[in-house]
Amino acid sequence: MLKINNLHATVDDGQKQILNGLSLEVPAGEVHAIMGPNGAGKSTLAYVLTGRDGYDVTEGEVTLDGEDLLDMEPEERAAKGVFLSFQYPLEIPGVPTMTFLRTAVNAQRKARGEEPMGAPEFLKTARALAKELKIKPEMLKRPLNVGFSGGEKKRMEIFQMMMLAPRFIVMDETDSGLDVDALRIVADGVNKLRGAGRGMLIITHYQRLLDYIVPDRVHVLSQGKIAASGDADFAKTLESEGYDAYAA
Amino acid sequence: MPHNTTAEQRLGSPLPSKRDEVWKWTDLRRAVTDKAGGLTSAARPKFDLPHGVKIREGEGPEKQSKKYGHGTMAALAKSFGGKSWEIYVPSGLRPAAPLVISDIARGHCRIMIMVDKGAHIHLFEHYGGEQGGFTNSDIQIHLAEGAKLTRTIIQDDPADHCRIANAHIAIEEGAKLTQHCLAFGGGLVRMETNLTSEGEGVTADMGAAYLLSGERHCDMTSVIRLAHPNCTIDQAVKGVVDDKTRGVFQGKFLVERAAQHTDAQMRHDALMLSDRAQVRAKPELEIYADDVACEHGNTLGQLDETSLFYMRQRGIPIAQARAMLTEAFVSSVFDSVEDDDLRESLLVKVREWLEAR
Repeated sequence: MLKINNLHATVDDGQKQILNGLSLEVPAGEVHAIMGPNGAGKSTLAYVLTGRDGYDVTEGEVTLDGEDLLDMEPEERAAKGVFLSFQYPLEIPGVPTMTFLRTAVNAQRKARGEEPMGAPEFLKTARALAKELKIKPEMLKRPLNVGFSGGEKKRMEIFQMMMLAPRFIVMDETDSGLDVDALRIVADGVNKLRGAGRGMLIITHYQRLLDYIVPDRVHVLSQGKIAASGDADFAKTLESEGYDAYAA
Repeated sequence: MPHNTTAEQRLGSPLPSKRDEVWKWTDLRRAVTDKAGGLTSAARPKFDLPHGVKIREGEGPEKQSKKYGHGTMAALAKSFGGKSWEIYVPSGLRPAAPLVISDIARGHCRIMIMVDKGAHIHLFEHYGGEQGGFTNSDIQIHLAEGAKLTRTIIQDDPADHCRIANAHIAIEEGAKLTQHCLAFGGGLVRMETNLTSEGEGVTADMGAAYLLSGERHCDMTSVIRLAHPNCTIDQAVKGVVDDKTRGVFQGKFLVERAAQHTDAQMRHDALMLSDRAQVRAKPELEIYADDVACEHGNTLGQLDETSLFYMRQRGIPIAQARAMLTEAFVSSVFDSVEDDDLRESLLVKVREWLEAR
């Protein structure tokens, strides 16, 4: 599904090298976790995969089901099914949540040559999902994320993710700012999306989230490349022993 | 002094220019040529009057009138506008239909509107001229005690039209003005509001937006003079400038010694969509009373790149994301439009502008 080969990337107009030959494969149906110390390049990887300006790929390839992702604009990647759950979800004043999301859903459908989702179907789906994620209906009428707490914003990310039903999901520090109850709701949402045909990359600093979303593989990212990999138990070892062994 | 231009010779008067402090960013002298349509003629505005509202043709240019505004443009409106129009909204009248003034185009005109005690009226002014034209309008509005005026202004002239639209509004005790203006600029456009309190407890809520593309120029100038206690002013202007346009905001609150307990807020926020566009802003407070709450704020910025990326990551194409963020930026000044249909019609015009870019 997702193939990353020898990826090198810089920020600050090439001044700062962050990714240094990262290679990784996430087959369809699998959930992989990326762990690592601060500054290892975890968030950079998320932004490179989704095409944010200012993150320049200098070498290497990234393909999704054989298609070159790096050649596409961020919105094209989204339409191909790449979704990023942001570490710090943005507030969009003046744009009601439902308007934003319906625009996104239908923009993706249009890009894929599909029929737009009508208002009644959209409302019905959104309301049912909101209930599941314990999102109050009035929150959906408010401007996106404006005045929401950290936990509410993260739940809203999962809500958007479930509405958009992406094929490949990148979660950047989704557990930060969540209490245990919110973490459970978020994890339940994510686990529902696990399955054949869908891949996930979970970026996290702590092992805590992986108690709820058990990964198939765990990788350590250090100094811009994968320094070690293991199974789900490997995350627990990392948590107790720290990342020192993988630093230079 | 420079020689008079041909236009000035025909008008028999110098035109305001960058040499005048209050016109320094809107150089009318340079913009108006003697070929401008309507330079020395009288405009013939159209009026749609709700039942009970009266109109008559007022005195001609030969009679001096103190009712109208001062300054060069007011004098020109008097010299070339022919007879003025005098509109009377009788005491207590509250028609559901708006008073509509349109075709304020090509030439000079003077309109006086008296809203008598306790009357409530919605005034809709449409400013749309013709190519290569020039319009100079002077509107004098008087709100008597307890009167309420909802004023909505749409200005959408052709790209080369020159327009000076001046309003002088006097407000008596307890009267209220709610004003919304949506302007698209032109060759050179100035929308000016001069408001004066004539009694205690005056309220004015003024929202305006200017959206400029091509090489248009739009100037939003206002002077609010408060000379009585307990007045409340809330003014918010938003500007969006694209291409090689020029936006000007000049806002002044003059709070005299007697105007204690004034609560006055002024905001101007502009969004630059192009680095070749210009915005000039001068918010000004002149306060002689000691127990007042007056504030002004002024910002200039660009669309937030992080927000744009967030929206694109959700699949919204960049042009659409930009349009959504811009609309959201502008639309807040119309939140206080009470009539839902009217607010929506203003937002439709904003969207049309965004789509045409």
